[in-house]
Amino acid sequence: MTIVSDAMDETPPPPFPPPLAGEGQGGGIRLTEQQLRARRSRSIAIALALGAFVVVIFLVTLVKLGSNVLTRPM
Amino acid sequence: MSVTLARIEPSIAGVGDYVALLKPRVMSLVVFTALVGLLIAPGHVHPVIALTALLCIAVGAGAAGALNMWYDADIDARMLRTAGRPIPQGRVTPGEVAGFGLTLAVFAVATLGLLVNWVSASLLAFTIAFYVVIYTMWLKRSTPQNIVIGGAAGALPPIIGWAAVTGGVAVEPIVLFLIIFFWTPPHFWALSLYRAEDYARAGIPMLPVVAGEAETRRQIVLYTLILAPLGVAPWLMGFAGPLYGIAAIAGGAAMIALALRVRAERHGHVASKQMFGFSILYLFLLFAVLLADRLWGGLAAQAVSHFAA
Repeated sequence: MTIVSDAMDETPPPPFPPPLAGEGQGGGIRLTEQQLRARRSRSIAIALALGAFVVVIFLVTLVKLGSNVLTRPM
Repeated sequence: MSVTLARIEPSIAGVGDYVALLKPRVMSLVVFTALVGLLIAPGHVHPVIALTALLCIAVGAGAAGALNMWYDADIDARMLRTAGRPIPQGRVTPGEVAGFGLTLAVFAVATLGLLVNWVSASLLAFTIAFYVVIYTMWLKRSTPQNIVIGGAAGALPPIIGWAAVTGGVAVEPIVLFLIIFFWTPPHFWALSLYRAEDYARAGIPMLPVVAGEAETRRQIVLYTLILAPLGVAPWLMGFAGPLYGIAAIAGGAAMIALALRVRAERHGHVASKQMFGFSILYLFLLFAVLLADRLWGGLAAQAVSHFAA
């Protein structure tokens, strides 16, 4: 047996630790269907809440400024 | 130096879990009583401003509920009534709930202050702080008077609603505050009579756990005897009409009758369950009639001035 073939017999170390349950190749997190659905519903709720907040600020601005909203110093 | 990073599990919490953290049933009662405070206040407020104030009060109440669930997660897990909440179920982490509650609280108070007025915003901030710090963190685990003193937080919304319109506080909303304040003990003690084992398991010193059932029943009668005349006070003081007076007298009499039945009950908890259920109806009835009375009075006054002109 040559030195070269001895070296070839050794198992090379894996480039990354083996993935755990729920992880994709390379250690990244792969979401389950349930997690994806939950994240989507949370994202929609946050978008709706932000939209509602913008509408509230817009309406209160109109109410507070009244007709002065059209007054612009030239 | 080695650094160990905790594995972060992706969240499975849905929108429903975050809604549950806001205690929507408590929130609805808070919004309703604040609405009454807002509508009986003298002066005019633009409907958009009124709606903004109610939204801020609702979000503030929800924030207080979330912070309560964050702090009480350990005892919630030991009680049947609360074991299904999002944190004990493992659907949301305590850290997420603390962040959620604090963010909503700051947003609600700042928005109310900037868009409505700072008196109502200060009262909302005080209510949230009182509920979370004084009631949840201190009184709840240390004294059987927890819900008596802590009840002040739940009684403040009519004052906040009034302050949102007037920028101040007056006798009328303080009377509404007192009605809710003296309603809270008989309401919660009726519940705690048939949930005493649950509270004992969680180590919460509710009155039936610490002083026994007989003393709790006696105190329910005492507080109801204070509550019933207080319920009639808005009519006697002239800021509610005769329809309210009749409803308050009838409702108060029914509350006293139920309290006496609770006092007389020796076995089982039929009367205390009836008392708990009726107490919710009683408070709702008082505020609903006050609201209807005020709206009807406003419409009638408008009609009279229209025809007089």
